[in-house]
Amino acid sequence: MTNIISRPHTETEEPHWIEWVTGVVSSVLVIAIVAWVAYEAITEEKTPPDLGISMTKRSPVEGGYRIEFDIANKATTTAAAVTVRGEILEGGAVVEDADVTFDYVPAQSKSSGAILFSQDPGNRQVRIRAVGYTDP
Amino acid sequence: MKGVTAAQPDRNIRDPRPFLIGLGRGAAGAMLFGIPMLMTMELWQLGFYVDRGRLFLLLVVNIPLLVVLAHRIGFEHTSTWAEACRDAVIAYGLGILMSAAVLLMLGDLKTHMPLSEILGKIAMQAVPASIGALLGRSQLTGQADGGKDDDLGGSLHGGDSGGKEGDAVPNTLSTSYSRELFLMGVGALFLSLNVAPTEEIILISFKMTPWHALACIAMSIAIMHGFVYAVAFKGTHEIPEGTPWWHAFFRFTLPGYMVAMAISLYVLWTFGRLDDIAPTQVIMSAIVLSFPGAIGAAAARLIL
Repeated sequence: MTNIISRPHTETEEPHWIEWVTGVVSSVLVIAIVAWVAYEAITEEKTPPDLGISMTKRSPVEGGYRIEFDIANKATTTAAAVTVRGEILEGGAVVEDADVTFDYVPAQSKSSGAILFSQDPGNRQVRIRAVGYTDP
Repeated sequence: MKGVTAAQPDRNIRDPRPFLIGLGRGAAGAMLFGIPMLMTMELWQLGFYVDRGRLFLLLVVNIPLLVVLAHRIGFEHTSTWAEACRDAVIAYGLGILMSAAVLLMLGDLKTHMPLSEILGKIAMQAVPASIGALLGRSQLTGQADGGKDDDLGGSLHGGDSGGKEGDAVPNTLSTSYSRELFLMGVGALFLSLNVAPTEEIILISFKMTPWHALACIAMSIAIMHGFVYAVAFKGTHEIPEGTPWWHAFFRFTLPGYMVAMAISLYVLWTFGRLDDIAPTQVIMSAIVLSFPGAIGAAAARLIL
């Protein structure tokens, strides 16, 4: 306990057992976090961002068509300013394309977003891919 | 003000001036502590995109926090929980008012904005501002105020003891210990709220390697311990003679760091920084945010 009445504060010499329990639990947690991060530090291999995109939902919106997607980064480094381009292909030729930029796609994490086309792709092929990123 | 002494505790009830001065200090505190956040773009944006459930939870969590804080450093001498509740409500109200006023002045609130955006922006800012209102009450108080400020006064002029525990029940072990942890939590929350919404926190965590993170943990804990026990600031805690240094380290510093980390995680979660993020990245962000959090926690032990 801390004696707040007198100044300077003095920690008592006979702390309550709860204080020791809290201390022990906390030190276990701190050690666990340190061990975890240390394990990461030792074992982690730096792999460049590995971006995979999967379309999740297509829906018409006012004045266009929306395709939602998830972008996952399986690597151990984060990609910043990730530009994702969506294209509608007709017979191999690009009919329409649209870009979207993600501020970050963190390592081993995923983000989601959507591309808005002005037309319904219908049965035509839609291609969504990451076209570039920077290191944070 | 100089005429008010501890010998006239009843004056508080009849004379509105100390209360009004308290209000003024609260408003000043809300400004002083709130201005860095009021002028942060990310917090304005959070006002409209933050998950409403999480914002609601933050607003609700703030209430007991203010009440307990007010019980310690009220606008006036608060000896009962009812008075602490009143002070907490006043502080919250001041926080909301000052946030609204400053945001309005900065041109960040416009009439054409949807109501939910306006409310969200104000609500977001009201939390740190209301804590600031209570802290301002404490920190802008001069020594001359004597008896009215016996919580702070108690620590300023050692003999002015009793304070809000005025009925002279000595602090029980567990309440005092939990209060220390609570104060650390408030300090951590306050500094975390300051920096957590900025993009820099996640950017730093992306730039850091795990080795940097380990150094950050060690540094945070060392600063926390050093702040309170080694370098003598006002209110510095002392370890009694003959007690090994690691007693305080285990009982206060490490739990304090865990409190700071828990608060960091909570704040990051509230701001949606942890959604769909891998556990390793989560812990890295928490370690980064715990650095200011730890400093805030240590400072709170000294100041409050």
